[in-house]
Amino acid sequence: MQGPGIAWYLGISAFLFGTGALGVLLRRNPIIVLLSLEIMLNGGNLALIAFARHAGNGAGQIFALAVMAVAASEVCVGLGLVVAINRRRLALDVDKLSELRG
Amino acid sequence: MRDGAWLCLFAPLAGTIVILLGGTRIPRAVAGWISTASVFVAFGGATWAFFALRASNDRAGITYTAWTWLQSGSFKVGLSVLVDPLSTMMMLIVAGIGGLIVLYSIGYMDGDDEERRYFAYMSLFVFSMLLLVQGGNLLILLAGWGLVGLSSYLLIGFWHDRPSAVAAAKKAFIMNAVGDATMALAFFVLIFHSHSLEFGTSFATAAQLSPTAVNLVALGLLGGAAAKSAQIPLHTWLPDAMEGPTPVSALIHAATMVTAGVYLIARTHPIFEQARTVELVAAGMGALTLLVAGLIALVQTDIKRVIAYSTMSQIGYMFLGAGVGAYASGMFHLMTHAFFKALLFMAAGLVIHALSGEQDIRKMRGIGALMPWTKWAFLVGSLALVGVPPFAGFFSKDAIIAAALHDHWYGVILAGAGLVGAFLTGVYTFRLYFLVFPGEPSAFVREHHHAHHGQEGPLTMLVPVGVLAVLAVIGGWIQFSPFWHPLTNWLAPVAQTLGVAEPTNTQEAIASVLAVLLGLAGIGVAYALYGRGEASLAVPRLPAVQRTLEHKLYFDEAYDALFYRPAAAFASWLRRDFEEPVILATGPDLGEGALELGQGASRLQTGLLRTYVLFLGTGLAIVGVVFLVVR
Amino acid sequence: MILASAGNILVWIVWVGAGFACLASGVAVVSFRNPFYSALALIGNLGSLAVLYLLLSAEFVAAAQVLVYAGAVMVMFLFVIAYIGPRMETPWAGGPNWQSIAAVLAAGSIFLEIIVAVALKAGGRLSHSDHVNATFGTPGWIGRLFLTDHLLAFEITSIVLLIAAVGGVILGSHTKRAT
Repeated sequence: MQGPGIAWYLGISAFLFGTGALGVLLRRNPIIVLLSLEIMLNGGNLALIAFARHAGNGAGQIFALAVMAVAASEVCVGLGLVVAINRRRLALDVDKLSELRG
Repeated sequence: MRDGAWLCLFAPLAGTIVILLGGTRIPRAVAGWISTASVFVAFGGATWAFFALRASNDRAGITYTAWTWLQSGSFKVGLSVLVDPLSTMMMLIVAGIGGLIVLYSIGYMDGDDEERRYFAYMSLFVFSMLLLVQGGNLLILLAGWGLVGLSSYLLIGFWHDRPSAVAAAKKAFIMNAVGDATMALAFFVLIFHSHSLEFGTSFATAAQLSPTAVNLVALGLLGGAAAKSAQIPLHTWLPDAMEGPTPVSALIHAATMVTAGVYLIARTHPIFEQARTVELVAAGMGALTLLVAGLIALVQTDIKRVIAYSTMSQIGYMFLGAGVGAYASGMFHLMTHAFFKALLFMAAGLVIHALSGEQDIRKMRGIGALMPWTKWAFLVGSLALVGVPPFAGFFSKDAIIAAALHDHWYGVILAGAGLVGAFLTGVYTFRLYFLVFPGEPSAFVREHHHAHHGQEGPLTMLVPVGVLAVLAVIGGWIQFSPFWHPLTNWLAPVAQTLGVAEPTNTQEAIASVLAVLLGLAGIGVAYALYGRGEASLAVPRLPAVQRTLEHKLYFDEAYDALFYRPAAAFASWLRRDFEEPVILATGPDLGEGALELGQGASRLQTGLLRTYVLFLGTGLAIVGVVFLVVR
Repeated sequence: MILASAGNILVWIVWVGAGFACLASGVAVVSFRNPFYSALALIGNLGSLAVLYLLLSAEFVAAAQVLVYAGAVMVMFLFVIAYIGPRMETPWAGGPNWQSIAAVLAAGSIFLEIIVAVALKAGGRLSHSDHVNATFGTPGWIGRLFLTDHLLAFEITSIVLLIAAVGGVILGSHTKRAT
């Protein structure tokens, strides 16, 4: 394989995962939280693809596609929730959303 | 023989159990009769065993084991009784005199609220003492030893609402416990080497022990004997034990329990013979005690305490005899002493009972005029105590002095002490007699004396006193060494008198004559000082000596300073500086710590989603570390 | 590891560029206060990831990433952000003090652990990748795998998508009120 070894890709994947985790733990706006979650999922995807290439096994790429589909579904539902919260005139702040009313 | 022994042992126990189970359902007097009957049944059993032993060929005695409760390999121990000449002699004394005294108690304790408890304890005591003397192995001996101490404690503190009685009971028990500890240690050393608890095996190994070991064992046994028999230095509990009822003093602290020490030395004499030095120490201790006790008795003003110090002194004689090797003489004096000392205590009890509890002899002057029969009984006992022929004490005491005389130069010193003791005995005994009985009744006596239906006391009290008076006269006639000594012959198979302790006829004669003369001289001195009313000579005034004697040679004060005060100081230091700051404070500290922990933990519950996700993430990180490291 | 060939150097340059863009956009997503900017940063992230996938011989996945993720999911995000309006929010404020520090620590430790785990194996099993043939990663190859070896995954994924679509519609619809 040309270029850097798998370990470098895994390093990037780790960084993405960590950054996404930091965002989830730190931000209060639910949209930003969802975006950080996307970062984490992409980090995982990168790791999957890297290992698929390393082992010459297609299962990693298939799994990455499945993850993509699941991420899409999850974003769909999550954004639906955000819209519904906004429609109820509640604050878009995960700290304040600790008791659901309505 | 076997059945007699078992009957003797268990009859008093049955008496105790019956009284305990009966409780308040049985009338008080009935409890007394149950107890008396049980002890007389024991006496019957003892007599039966005695005659059976006499008729059998096996004069060295037989051990009967009821059942074995501990068996491991070749090590067996069980409930076994030993029927041999020494134990049958003790059984007869304990059960016989015990029966008489329990009978006496029926009259003495009549009207007391807790009579039933008293008689249960008395039966328990007789059982314990019989267990001790009949014990067939070291374990049973030790069990009986401990039970006797317990019964003594219970009976001394019988009137438990009197603080002085309670304190005296504790003192007796603690001093006995000191002796018990040394004795138990001695037994452990013995068992360690012999791997057996049987008497014969243990004693046989004594010959193979190193000198240090056998000396330690003998010292331990001596410690136990000294504590139980109130010899110096473990003697201070006996005068205080007079807080108990008079029959208790008669039975436990004159006739039986305090003689257990002498019995122990006679029983374990093979060990002592291996540690001859310790045996001579025992003799010296006895000599010292008999002198000191005699001196202290000269200044006592409580009638029971005079007799108590007299007991201490006479047991000193017994230790002296057993210590030089004259076991038979020691046991003989034990027997005669039991007769006349119990007699003296019971006669004193008649006086106390008639004066409604007064015990100060300075107030009792002249009571003999109102209680003549008691006076004669007391006189008989006193003469026997001093050793005037033909009363009982003469035969036994002189044999001891003579035996000591034979035993090297050391024995001569001991014999000399014994003779001085005989003089002192005369003085203090007849000081007591002359102060209390003869002469015109004092005002106090006239006011407080009350007769019992015209008699000096109830029949249950008078009969035992009479029986003992007769025994005090004739009891010594069983042995008049060297001419006629069936008792020594009887005890020979188990307690052979040592060769060094067999006096020649000349020494016997010298000892007897000197002892009698000194005794009579003592009586004379007492008469001169106390016996002639206003015409008496003035008692010599030596204030320092008098004070020292009145304080019992400051033994109590010394023990208080040496043992009690440091222990009490240590205990209060511990409470102040250790228990309160460390232990008591730990409790609240623990509680506060738990509260703080809880409060800290509750701050983790922020209610925010982000926090819980954080915990997830942290957990993930930790699991990752674990996998990295462990993999 | 570094071969002296022009192709290889080109791959390295592309890798460095794409990697850097990926990392920078990732940090940007969590740092911006305006969610609109964060979403744009995420699009950049997805693009650079697609380049990395191409380097890893995963052409179909790269294409799907751009079409599906960047094209559909991000558009949906931008629609919702536009609908909700501007919400500014500072990253570090709010919550208990220890939350922020602990969050950095937790995330940092996770990152470090993965790096350590990878580094331990970097010289060993991870050093030589298998040689793959030219069909690896092509759409035909993926499709064949979907319909043969991983049919179950394929079907279940489609069911999940259906459920999500239904859920999204329900969540987003107006509730009927009686006037």
